[in-house]
Amino acid sequence: MISLMNDDTKSFEDLALSFAGKELAHRRESSDRYPFGSFDNTILAKAHELGFLNITLPEDLGGIGQGISTLCVVLESICRTDASLGAVIFTNTLAQKIILRSGSVDLLSDTVSQGHLIACSAYSDPGEHKDLPRAEKGRKGYTLTGSACYVVLAPIAAYALLPAKVAGQEGYSFFLVGLSHPGVKTSEPVFSLGVHACPVGDLTLDRAEAELAGQEGKGAAYFGEASGVMSAAAAAISLGIMRGSFDYALSYSNEREQGGWPIVNWSMIKTILADMAVQTRIGDMSVSGACSAMENRLPGWDICVKTAALHVQDAACQVTTEGIQVLGGYGYMKDYGQEKRFRDAQQMKTLLGMAPLRKVELLDRINTR
Amino acid sequence: MISSEMKNLIKRFPSFENSFIGLEYAPRLPKAMVRETRELVAYARKFNEKVVRPNSLALDRLTHENPDYLPYDLMKTIADWGLYTMWVPKIFGGKGKNLPSSAPFIEELSSACVGIANVMGVTYLGLTSLLTSFNMRMTNRVLKDMIEGERTGKPKLIDFAITEPIAGTDAEDMDLVDRGRVITRAEKVNGGYLVNGRKVFISMGHVSEWTVFYAYTDLKKPSQTMIGLAVKNCANGFSVGRHEDKMGQRVCPASEIIFEDCFIPDDQVLIDAESIRKFTRKSPSEVMMRHIDFLASSSKAGVCAIGTGVARGALEEALKFASTTEVKGRLLINHQWAQGMLAEMYKNVVLGRLAYQEANYANSSRGVYDMLQMKPVFYYLKLMPPSYFRMLEPMLNSDLSTWVMSKMYFDLKKQENVDCCAGMSALAKVAGTDIGMKNCQLAMDLMGEAGLLQANGMEKRLRDAKLLQIYEGSNQMNRLITFKGLIAPSVPQARLFEQ
Repeated sequence: MISLMNDDTKSFEDLALSFAGKELAHRRESSDRYPFGSFDNTILAKAHELGFLNITLPEDLGGIGQGISTLCVVLESICRTDASLGAVIFTNTLAQKIILRSGSVDLLSDTVSQGHLIACSAYSDPGEHKDLPRAEKGRKGYTLTGSACYVVLAPIAAYALLPAKVAGQEGYSFFLVGLSHPGVKTSEPVFSLGVHACPVGDLTLDRAEAELAGQEGKGAAYFGEASGVMSAAAAAISLGIMRGSFDYALSYSNEREQGGWPIVNWSMIKTILADMAVQTRIGDMSVSGACSAMENRLPGWDICVKTAALHVQDAACQVTTEGIQVLGGYGYMKDYGQEKRFRDAQQMKTLLGMAPLRKVELLDRINTR
Repeated sequence: MISSEMKNLIKRFPSFENSFIGLEYAPRLPKAMVRETRELVAYARKFNEKVVRPNSLALDRLTHENPDYLPYDLMKTIADWGLYTMWVPKIFGGKGKNLPSSAPFIEELSSACVGIANVMGVTYLGLTSLLTSFNMRMTNRVLKDMIEGERTGKPKLIDFAITEPIAGTDAEDMDLVDRGRVITRAEKVNGGYLVNGRKVFISMGHVSEWTVFYAYTDLKKPSQTMIGLAVKNCANGFSVGRHEDKMGQRVCPASEIIFEDCFIPDDQVLIDAESIRKFTRKSPSEVMMRHIDFLASSSKAGVCAIGTGVARGALEEALKFASTTEVKGRLLINHQWAQGMLAEMYKNVVLGRLAYQEANYANSSRGVYDMLQMKPVFYYLKLMPPSYFRMLEPMLNSDLSTWVMSKMYFDLKKQENVDCCAGMSALAKVAGTDIGMKNCQLAMDLMGEAGLLQANGMEKRLRDAKLLQIYEGSNQMNRLITFKGLIAPSVPQARLFEQ
């Protein structure tokens, strides 16, 4: 992302691109076999070593204390090759951000020092759900009962940050739950459309011990603030996916011949590639602009960020559809990465909640300013 | 208005004839065809209820667990339901349902599962490639095998192979094939051809009994030396290679087919330069282009129906979700934005259906179905008993029947009719498959997180839908065929494939 580049972000971009080239590219197809193939822990261990799982976490909490621009640059660079790791980083960072917003930073100390991941429901706004687990306060603290569906990272994380309703309390609250607690059952991984190497599971909770994040009933406020910031990261993931799709389609079309020419010379293909390039460049400008607005706390930065996410996520779905089309039959096969990008882009469009609802809410936000 | 003036006005681009095909055909449509189609749609719905819906997601999951899975059990079930001979004309011993009715049938199946629909449908692509070669003797031989397979519960299907590793679009058009790099060579030897080469992405290649395919006697002049052949998949020198790992439609395998010194006897040649010389002075290239146009005019209307079915399945899935899911304290179906999306999806389904119907009206009045859909022929074939047609078999095996059919379609059929049918079916293919994708994406948006789970069925539809924009000619190629068939004839200076 050109306009975000300075010495710091450039070095993170170089690091992420080199990591993706060395560690992700050759494993992409085999990692994508999960849950029918094995889960490759070595990628996560290496990503953790490089600090990718704690990019925006303050240094005093064991993170590397970078801003949203660096997070976006890293996510975009990684997701050009494989968005699964991007989704892992996103989910863990979202959980961290919600906890940080709640003020209960002590909840993070264990997870960070031990290198543990925190699962959370990254694909939905908890406010959209009517059946949240129930939280009860006893003498020893809180316990949760009920079920939490489609919790991202649940099959591999040590903790989950879950929304739950406290009896008699308006709204919902967030709780940190240890997934090895006997009151927690994690389902088999849920087989989904995309980012297969970012596992998802359902949780069944039976008086599971839980620690409250922040205050009771304030969950929506914490989620709103965290998701505002993380919309930029969601957009960066989609941008990376579409950039990867465009780069591969362009290089393929210079090699593949039909009608006696490399297909890039056929003007119909050229216009498809040009549309992909336009969307990718506009996506880059949107994400960069949103990050700058956020970091400089410009008025209306939150609207900029959410707009960028909606635009780029939608564009990524269109671009990756064409990314397959340029390759024809080969694009549809699992050997070339393009079909995976198509699936991943659609999956990532749902980050932080249903796109049409987010659109309606964006307009409400603009209208009330 | 004087009649010559009117004639002039309605001939202007876009001509009345090409614009209101269904309107002109309606009075000629045999009434029994409507009843037959209605019964078939009901039968398809029953098949969906009993076979497709209970198995679709489990089979998709199974193919992810085991990418080498082949659908033999499913083929047996489809045969038990009599679907592999439903549209085989009665003169060849099939049930002889009207060919255009296969489109609404495949729409029904595709609304539940495109993969399963194709485990049935692909063999009809093979059948159409035989029928449109107008080689009556060989068509009869292969179809008899297919009918026997269904009767004995051991399906003997036909696949169709045109795509090569470095010739996808090139292999589909005579103007492009000479510039491309086809590799399947047929060398004339005593008593037949020796074939070497490869075909890729061949649906049902691993499980079919027969392959209908093309080879070239001179790879440097493929447009003039293209020949159509049929081979049994157990023949020496024939083998299937890679089983492709596809994103969707996974229950219907895509196969690599390999020919290594595969001997194909002369009596399995469907069409070649020598047979073409017997009925026309047209060049082999012109005749083979007509053959491909006839074949594609039929199959692309079918792919439009598949796209329409996918679009309908997405609508039904989204509707079910919206009717049962509360969002922000209200059922989703009562959010106005959701109602707008559902209406958009319904609109797309209707437009897709109109597109394949209009393409098939073109095929029925001016194209490859015109003879079978003439009222006298239609009722004659419908009413005469199977035993009567068995008596006619010697006629099918005579050279005369092949000559008559080839003369009628390859030589005498007006080019403007061939162009119209090719253009309309290409247009329908693009329209139907684009709306299939569009509705899947809309449904995914509407369902949010729930749409992502394989167990909920929507994400599979999206994966399945994407292939429709690629096979039977990419949608880019089909836009050019639409241009070639429906626009270019009115613009003398228009040229295709010039850069």
